[in-house]
Amino acid sequence: MASQKRIAKELGDCTTSPPTGMSIALANDSDVHKWHVTLDGPPDSVYAGGKFGIIVTLPAEYPFKAPVVTFATRIYHPNITNDNLGNICLGLLKPENWKPASRLLSVLEAVRALLIEPQPDDPLEGRIADEYRRERKEFEKNAKSYVTRYAKGPVKFDAPPAAAAPANAP
Amino acid sequence: MPPPNTPEEGVVTAESPSDQSAPSIAYIPTRHRLYPEPPESPPPRAPTAPPAATTESSRATTPNPSRPPSRPSSAGRTSPVSCAGRSCLLPINYQDLQYETEVDKSLECPICRTPFYLPLTTKPCGHTFCAACLDRALEIQPVCPIDRQPLDASRDLCHTRVVLDQLDRLRVKCPNRGCDHVCSRELLAVHYERYCDYTLVHCPAPECDLRVARVDARAEKGCLHTYTACQYCDKSIMVAGLEEHYDADCGGHTAKCAHCNAIVIRHRMEKHIAKDCLRTVVACKWRPFGCFEWAPREEVEKHEQGHCVYQAIGRLVRDRMDDRMMINELKDRLSTVDERLRKAEKEKRRSHAAPFVPDLDLNDSPRAAPSYNSGAWGSPEDYMLAQFERMESKMEDLRKMIMELDGHHSMRLLNDTMRLNEQIAELGSKVGVLGMHTTWLMNVQRQSRGQQRAGAAGSPPGSGMVGSSASAASGGSSVGGRSVADSDRSRYYSANDGGVPLRRNSHDRGENPPRL
Repeated sequence: MASQKRIAKELGDCTTSPPTGMSIALANDSDVHKWHVTLDGPPDSVYAGGKFGIIVTLPAEYPFKAPVVTFATRIYHPNITNDNLGNICLGLLKPENWKPASRLLSVLEAVRALLIEPQPDDPLEGRIADEYRRERKEFEKNAKSYVTRYAKGPVKFDAPPAAAAPANAP
Repeated sequence: MPPPNTPEEGVVTAESPSDQSAPSIAYIPTRHRLYPEPPESPPPRAPTAPPAATTESSRATTPNPSRPPSRPSSAGRTSPVSCAGRSCLLPINYQDLQYETEVDKSLECPICRTPFYLPLTTKPCGHTFCAACLDRALEIQPVCPIDRQPLDASRDLCHTRVVLDQLDRLRVKCPNRGCDHVCSRELLAVHYERYCDYTLVHCPAPECDLRVARVDARAEKGCLHTYTACQYCDKSIMVAGLEEHYDADCGGHTAKCAHCNAIVIRHRMEKHIAKDCLRTVVACKWRPFGCFEWAPREEVEKHEQGHCVYQAIGRLVRDRMDDRMMINELKDRLSTVDERLRKAEKEKRRSHAAPFVPDLDLNDSPRAAPSYNSGAWGSPEDYMLAQFERMESKMEDLRKMIMELDGHHSMRLLNDTMRLNEQIAELGSKVGVLGMHTTWLMNVQRQSRGQQRAGAAGSPPGSGMVGSSASAASGGSSVGGRSVADSDRSRYYSANDGGVPLRRNSHDRGENPPRL
C-alpha cells in the first residue's frame, strides 16, 4: 500500500520534471511497477543520436528493495551486458548499497551519467572495459556502430524477450 | 562515531550475506517495543474491495442473487473476529490521507513520501522516518535508510517533539468516502472514531460480518449487503455499494440531459439539472428583491454578474441582513458576558467570606455557549456534540479539581493530626512528670510527719499514749478503728531504728525531686 503511494509520487515527479533527455511512461496503465523510459543518448557522448529503451522494474517490496533497471535496446558499454538482457551495473542499485530513501529520479540520472562516463573499473563486460581503457578510438567506433544498428528509430521495449528466444535457441 | 567494525564500502560486498541475516534475526525481538503497531491494513474504504468480489460471486450464483453463499474475502477487513464497541473500527491509514494544503517537503517521510505518521528520529544521524517505514527498512538491513549508518532499533531511535507538533497541526480531510470534514490531524482519530457518519462499522445484521457506513447501520434499514439489480444496467449490486456503482462502473448509466444535451450519469441527473445544467431555465438570484429575469442558467449567470439592476439593492439588503444577524449575535454575546461578569462579582464577594471556593459553576454552561438558535451551529447534532464535548471537558475539570481537593484535604489532615499527636505526647509526658512531683511531695510530707512523730515518741514514753488518747478523744465515735491504725503506724515506724523515717520511693531514686 505504502509502496503504491510512493511509486505514484515518484512517477508524478518524473513525469512533471523528467530528467534531461528522458521520457517516462508506464508499461501498461494498470501496473505502476513497470516503467518504460526512453533515453536520448547524451549529446556529448558516443551514444549521441541514439534512443535507448530502459525498463525499470520495481519489486513488490519497493522502496525497501532496489529497482531493477535493464536496457531494452542493445548498447556497447563496459557496464551494461552486451546481450539481449541489457543488465546494468550501477553501484546505487546493488542490494547492499540500496537505500530506501533513494529516488528513482536520481537512479535515472545515474544511468544517464553512466553513459556519459563509463566505469571501466567495475565492469560487466571485461573486454569492452579493456577496450575502453586501452583503445578508446576502437571503442568509440564500436559504440557508434551499435548506436546506428540498434538505437535508431522508435524504441521497442518488448524487443529483448522476443529477440532472446531465437538467440538462445541454437 | 561509527562502531569500530563498520565495514568499508568495498568490504561490504564480501560480507553482505552474513551482514544481512544475523542482525535482522537479532532485531526481531525488539521490533515493536518503541511504538504502537502501525496500521498495516488497507484504508477504511472497504467498498472498493467488495464490489470486485461482488461481480465474481454474483456470476457464480446468478440464479440466486440474494446473498453470496460464501463470504467474499474482503480486503477491507482487518480481522474476522467479531469485536464490540469502537475498537472494531478499521484503523485509519495515515499514508493515504488527503491534506487540505500542500505539506512541507521536510515533513515527508523519505521512504513512503507521505507526511510522517508516528515519526522516529535516528540518534546518530538525526534522520526522521515513519515508524512503520523504518521498521520495514531495519528488518531488511539494520542501517539508516539515508546514510547507511548502523542502527540499533532498541537504542538509537527517539521521538522529536517539534515534528510531532507540526504534524498534529496539519489540516487533513476525513478519509471516509462521502465525508468532507476537515480538521487538524491530531483530532482526526476522534472524528473518525466517534462522530463521522461515514465510518465503516459492523453491519447491524448479526449474521452479516461485512461493514457499512455508520449512517446506514441502523436496525430498521437492515442488512445492506444483499444484492439488488441496478435500475439502470441490471447488474446485481450490493445495496451498500449502489452509490459507488452509479459513479463508477454502471454499464447503462449515462443519459443525455434534456436541456443541454450533455452526457450525465443518469443517477445524478437531478443534481445536474438543479445545479450545473447551463440550459435549464432558472430565476435570477436577486428575485427576492424584485428581479423578474427568468432564463436559461448561463444567461441568468451573465445577467446576475453584469446587468441585473436589482443587484445593488439586493446586495444592500443582504448586507443589512447580515449586519442585523451579526448585531443580534453580538447582543447575545454581550448579555452572556454581562451575566458572567455579574456571576464573577457575586463569586468574588462570596469568596471573601469563604476563602476556598472552587471556580466552578455547572449552571452557567448552557448560557455560556452560543445557543443553538443563534445560528452558529450547522445542525442540532453539531450543537449537541459541542455541548457534549463541553460537558466532557467540564467533567474532566471537575475530576481534576476533586483530585486536587482530595490531595489538599489529606495533606491538611496529615498536618493537623501530626500536630495533635505531638501535643498529646507532650501532655502525656507532662502528666507523668506531675505524677512524679506529687509522689515526691507526698513522700516529703510523710517524712516530715514521721520525724515529728518520732520526736514526740522519743522524749516522754507516755506521750504516744497521750497523743493517741487525745486523738481518740477528738475522734469521738471512731475510737476503735483509729487507735488500731495508730498503733499499727507506731509499730511500723518503730521497726525502723525508731528515728529514721522510711521513704518508700525517693530512697531508691535519690534525694532530689524529679525534674521537669
